[in-house]
Amino acid sequence: MSDKLLSITGLSAGYGPLRVLHEIDFSVAAGERLAIVGLNGHGKTTLFRAIMHLVGWQRGSVVFDGIEIGGTRSLGEGRRTPGIVRLGVAMTPQGDAIFPGLTVKQHLDCGAYTKASWRDRALRRDHIYHIFPQLKALEQAYVGKLSGGERRMVSVGRALMADARLYLIDEPSLGLAPKISQRVVDALIDIGLDGKAMVIAEQNVALLSGKVDRMIGMHAGHLRGDVGHVDLA
Amino acid sequence: MDAGLIVYALYLAAIYGLMAIGISLLWSSVGMVNMAHGATFAIAGYAAYFAAIWGQPLARDLLGTTGWDIPALAVFIGLVALLAGALFGIVIYLVAFLPIHDKENFAVRSLIITLALNLATVQMLLWAFGPQQKALPRVFGTGRFTALGMSIRIDQVVTIVATTLLLGSVLAWLRRSRKGLEIRAVMQNAEGAALCGISTRKTALPIMMLTGALAGLAAVLLSQNVFVSPTAGVTPLIKGLTIALLGGLGSVPGAVAGAVLIGFIEAATGAIPFLGQRYVLFVQFTFIVCVLLIRPRGLGGLLDETRE
Amino acid sequence: MAPQQPEKRFFEVGRRPHEITLKPDGGDAWRRGRVPLTKRHWLAWRGISNPKSLRRERRLLDKRPLWWTIGLGGLLVVTPFLSDQAINIAAIFCIFSAINVIWTLIIGTAGIFSLATMAVVGMAGYAAAAANVYLGVPWPLMMPVGALVGLVLGGFLALPSTRLDGLYYALLTLGVAEICRVFVSQIKLLAPTNGSINQVGSFIPADWLLQRPGLLLGFFAAFALLLAALLVFRLINSERLGLLLQAAREDEAFSEANGIDYRRARLWVFILSSAALGAIGAFYVMFYRSISLAVFSLDQLLLLFAMIVIGGLGRSEGAVLGTAIVVLIDKGMLDLGPLRIILVTAVMIVVALTSHHGLTGVRMQFRNFRNRKKSESRAARTEKGGEVMPEEATEITDKQQVYYRLFDKRIRDQLKTQVTPELIAEHRAKPLGQHSDALDRVLNYFRRGEMPDKYAILRVGPYAASTYKVLAFSGRPGHPPRVVDDKLYATMDEAYHAVFLLRVNDLLAS
Repeated sequence: MSDKLLSITGLSAGYGPLRVLHEIDFSVAAGERLAIVGLNGHGKTTLFRAIMHLVGWQRGSVVFDGIEIGGTRSLGEGRRTPGIVRLGVAMTPQGDAIFPGLTVKQHLDCGAYTKASWRDRALRRDHIYHIFPQLKALEQAYVGKLSGGERRMVSVGRALMADARLYLIDEPSLGLAPKISQRVVDALIDIGLDGKAMVIAEQNVALLSGKVDRMIGMHAGHLRGDVGHVDLA
Repeated sequence: MDAGLIVYALYLAAIYGLMAIGISLLWSSVGMVNMAHGATFAIAGYAAYFAAIWGQPLARDLLGTTGWDIPALAVFIGLVALLAGALFGIVIYLVAFLPIHDKENFAVRSLIITLALNLATVQMLLWAFGPQQKALPRVFGTGRFTALGMSIRIDQVVTIVATTLLLGSVLAWLRRSRKGLEIRAVMQNAEGAALCGISTRKTALPIMMLTGALAGLAAVLLSQNVFVSPTAGVTPLIKGLTIALLGGLGSVPGAVAGAVLIGFIEAATGAIPFLGQRYVLFVQFTFIVCVLLIRPRGLGGLLDETRE
Repeated sequence: MAPQQPEKRFFEVGRRPHEITLKPDGGDAWRRGRVPLTKRHWLAWRGISNPKSLRRERRLLDKRPLWWTIGLGGLLVVTPFLSDQAINIAAIFCIFSAINVIWTLIIGTAGIFSLATMAVVGMAGYAAAAANVYLGVPWPLMMPVGALVGLVLGGFLALPSTRLDGLYYALLTLGVAEICRVFVSQIKLLAPTNGSINQVGSFIPADWLLQRPGLLLGFFAAFALLLAALLVFRLINSERLGLLLQAAREDEAFSEANGIDYRRARLWVFILSSAALGAIGAFYVMFYRSISLAVFSLDQLLLLFAMIVIGGLGRSEGAVLGTAIVVLIDKGMLDLGPLRIILVTAVMIVVALTSHHGLTGVRMQFRNFRNRKKSESRAARTEKGGEVMPEEATEITDKQQVYYRLFDKRIRDQLKTQVTPELIAEHRAKPLGQHSDALDRVLNYFRRGEMPDKYAILRVGPYAASTYKVLAFSGRPGHPPRVVDDKLYATMDEAYHAVFLLRVNDLLAS
């Protein structure tokens, strides 16, 4: 257990009278790239939000790098979320959570929340532009006016600015054209993971098969070893 | 229209602008209308008064011969007022923001709490110091100087210059600094900001201290004309609110434009013979009503960053 | 039988608080009185059948008329025996409550954040006083004059309310109040003696003015005013206008799409309320026999605002309760001096910090909180697709239903453990014919299912060389089965096995 970067035991979460996650158990080791696949509405986003403390209520234990970050918060206001982020967890939410009136450069700067990363934020920005070359030209553009793919790149880039150790990427290909989603996923796969871990929640299994270390299915709030209960002939 | 009147108008605009920008800024970043601004004003005034009482003989002893004693006293009083305003801003943060900022019906409830704080503070000041007005020493310059063949009051010019510098630096700080970036991020998407490690509570505190400090400075600058008293904050609060709404709640350029307009109207109304000082509020409100009927959202309109 | 059962936890069941019910003889005819000239009953009695005791009972659905009667009736009965000062306070309470109730109509029902209340009251009061003093209008006609002036002012103020919203409109009305004040103070013709009009005719005879009989008369008249204001509130809020606006409060665009002209309804409510405020203004003048510029003061307005927010915006009970609290503190504890205001503000802060919607909303807030906690803990400890929740069980009359669902869940849990790859292989080898015990149980459970859960096999093509496809029943008469997927099976056995796999999938997912 001590070598696992993130270990979740018995996590149940939901919104009000609706229970979405049922006793989830899984763990992620450092250096591992894990994909959670499943249809929309089956709890992948809720799982990420439960780790970040943005759901209605949750029970169960979430241990990140030896520190317990689970809880039972009701109403999901996100009071503990900045604290969890600063521990080293970075999430790119579904729908990107962008700031419409800020430029791409300012978005990336927002991601650099530690002192060290703020100091050399120009270097890190260049690194992001290296990964996503299109963003370089759009540096001063307002993100509210960018297309879906560019916003996704900004959102992923923002998560990469500080030295997070756990990346939770929620639906990187949602709403994107196949070519652009391929590019985004390729960029995600290329990110080096020494001492870090990445969990990608994705609906499109084909995009990720063969590129991640492990794949877990999620159906109706339960984790399954493979997608579907039985092989449908 | 002589230059003295223009300077007076700008002087009023500077002071009202300080209050209005504080209210507008707080609304757009935190989502709260601060009715306790008047109380901040009054408390800072009293703090400045006591600082003056304590500091004046000290300054005279230490620096009386060099002629720097008056400016030093001015800076000292100004700093004390800024500090008092910031401290009261912390009080408002603790009572009106922190307990309820993520709960239901926050806008109305914070309005009620700040209103109550305002009333309570004014009453406590009345009870502690009585209703008599106190005068601050005239440290921001006395007398007039002549420029371009017209005589202009020194203290008004000092006020205008000081306010412009301070407001300019505050706005530049908001646009450029890291804290300003965090504040703007929280304004636009609170959940996204939380996912960037930016906590709403931690960004609201400097904003409230800042707006409190601005109100404190306004108190000191205005106290050259108006005396320090418990109810000194009422009129500036009303003027600040109306200018903030006139400029469009949440729009700082709008607040500046509104402050300038209202300042000119007040100066002009005072100067016109058959109107005089009594009709100032009347004329201002008539003007505001007309503007709001033409442009229901105020002068500034909606920028990309402001909150509804 | 079963091994050692774990310690059972009993959870409290049921939602409804204990109700007091009348239990008359079931054979008696039920006589219910109606409010004259209407079809409305006085109290909302409901007859229900108690399934446990099998008796007919009567329950009072809405107890608020009782609370109102007790409260106001108590006030009416007790006040004449109190001291002069207390009677004065009670009269002031009635007048302020009347103003606040109408103000609640504007802010709550119409949703217009107007601060022009005292301006309307003051202007109408001045107009009525001027009519009486300068034009010789007799005092019984002062209230209609006031109402008329209020109507006109309301008409003017209502127009901007469609263009401006929220705080902007509040600012506008604040400006209007200030304009009115200056206007009145500058017209020397109207108010020669520093802005006030004195010696106005009234229902209180001049020699009774500050004597006990005058005070009593004033109090009873003010009480009648309060009842009238409550009647106006009830007529507007619970009848057509109020119901239209309730729809608009929930969702403006949707109500407009349903043909509700909420803007016009808001204007009407505003204008009618202003007329009522005008009438109250005229009464105010008659009560004091004079009027001064203090009626326009901002402090008074803020105090009234404090009253309605303490009580809770939007309900007439809130207005009256808040007024009672503040008037008691402000006027009843005069010896505290400036501490009174501090106490009022302390009450304001505590109420705003703890309650979402004021004091009258506390009950609903607590119920919501308790229900939320209960539903969350229930959701946390049970699984989806399980048995009936205890709270639901008390509502279902046929208890057999409850047990059937429990039984069904137990069977499903047991069968889930039985489904193994060997079982599936066995069925693939021989879909029809003699099966093992486990497969038999599984198949019997499937056969016992309801139509919407079942599948069918469709023969495609001519009989000699036909292929088979799987369909799913819709379960509803008139709706054809839908195709599950495009797979074509060569033999019936393969089709049977495909249906079996689908059913097994459904079982495991349930």
